[in-house]
Amino acid sequence: MQGLISQMLEGTVTSLEIFFLTLIFSLPLGFVVAKGRMTRIAPIRWIVDLYIQVMRGTPLILQLIFVYFAPFYIFGASYDRFTACIIAFVINYSAYFSEIYRSGLQSIDRGQYEASKVLGFTKAYTFFHIILPQVIKRILPALGNEVITLVKDTALAQTIGVAELFRVAQTASSREFSTLPIFIAGVFYFIMNYIVSRLFVVMEKKLNYYR
Amino acid sequence: MEEMIKLTGLKKAFGGVEILKNISFTLPKGNVLSIIGPSGSGKSTTLRIITQLEKADDGNLEIAGHTLFSSVDGKAVYCNPEEERQIGLKTGLVFQSFNLFPHFSVLRNITEAQKAVLHRSREEAEEKAMALLTKMGIAEKAKQYPYQLSGGQQQRVSIARALALDPEVLFFDEPTSALDPELTREILKVIRELAEEKMTMVVVTHEMHFARAISDWAIFMNKGVIVEEGNPDRLFGNPQEERTRQFIASFQD
Repeated sequence: MQGLISQMLEGTVTSLEIFFLTLIFSLPLGFVVAKGRMTRIAPIRWIVDLYIQVMRGTPLILQLIFVYFAPFYIFGASYDRFTACIIAFVINYSAYFSEIYRSGLQSIDRGQYEASKVLGFTKAYTFFHIILPQVIKRILPALGNEVITLVKDTALAQTIGVAELFRVAQTASSREFSTLPIFIAGVFYFIMNYIVSRLFVVMEKKLNYYR
Repeated sequence: MEEMIKLTGLKKAFGGVEILKNISFTLPKGNVLSIIGPSGSGKSTTLRIITQLEKADDGNLEIAGHTLFSSVDGKAVYCNPEEERQIGLKTGLVFQSFNLFPHFSVLRNITEAQKAVLHRSREEAEEKAMALLTKMGIAEKAKQYPYQLSGGQQQRVSIARALALDPEVLFFDEPTSALDPELTREILKVIRELAEEKMTMVVVTHEMHFARAISDWAIFMNKGVIVEEGNPDRLFGNPQEERTRQFIASFQD
């Protein structure tokens, strides 16, 4: 039993690595994608739109397989499965985050930009100090949803052989002829998401000082 | 007298529709100009071009002796971006919808640009902000957030925010249109005090009595042209043009 738990904790570490690496890259990248989706330059907008449609319109599990195997079939070169997993998650989640950012950016009143311009703020200053803080407050609930989904989606990494929590649980389950490891994994996921959702509640409260 | 604003031949079209056909006026330093006219007459667009929220299609504009744009072959040619910015700092704009920053306290709304744009120290910026808030009669609101204030108080904060940057000319775009009559009076009182201090101002307003009382010069615009202008007693008391008469009469019921 103790061996099982420590194996599962190791799997959890891998799951958390996928989780944090995905967030670190896709949260900022999502903004770049959102800007691309909102640009006045039509060809860029079309390409970004197509990318978002593909990411949202096909299963993440398929994207994982594609990202891992495509280089092999195209260039005959294979690479580290963990890296492939992170790339697939990042490009998928950047697409989802970008749509959340876009909804937030478009909900900001034009008057905020105009007041900033009249007061002499630069574009960068306006974005980081005036617009972004207001966008974050508005998108926090939608972002929370997506981040919780990410915790559960990390289980898909096993498709390309990454030994994350769910794979460890499944392996243990078939070795010991018991579904218990699967249920334990469920408890692990629940605990992680409980922490995530509490964190979002705290952040929402923190930003509740204004309307 | 020194000219603060010299605008000639301003033209602007949106999507092929001419919004401003040929607008010219001058405003001497220390004077108050009021612009009246029906919705869609181009009053706001004129202010928005002078405060650089919109680009002119054609015309010449000098602000405090600096040329923002001038007409070359029927097109407005702007000065370089750095000069544009410098000229922008000479103008301030008060919006109809206040446009305060909701995530900043009242104090920070007024200090932010002083610190970030004029590089004033925090102490200096706060001192200036408090002096302005005191003048506006809302010093006790400094620590509050915009949503906690009445519309009239919010508009006073936005006037303080504009004044904090020491503009040479201040523009008001229908500053009381979002306010009830009681709150409107609060704001008009503030603008009147500024006029008494010889602040150079351009006020777009539907408050006819107020415009008549505070302005040195008044302009009536309709459909993108200046129909009539003159000293306010004459423009409001004895308009020469039929359209002006109709418009002013519509307020007297």
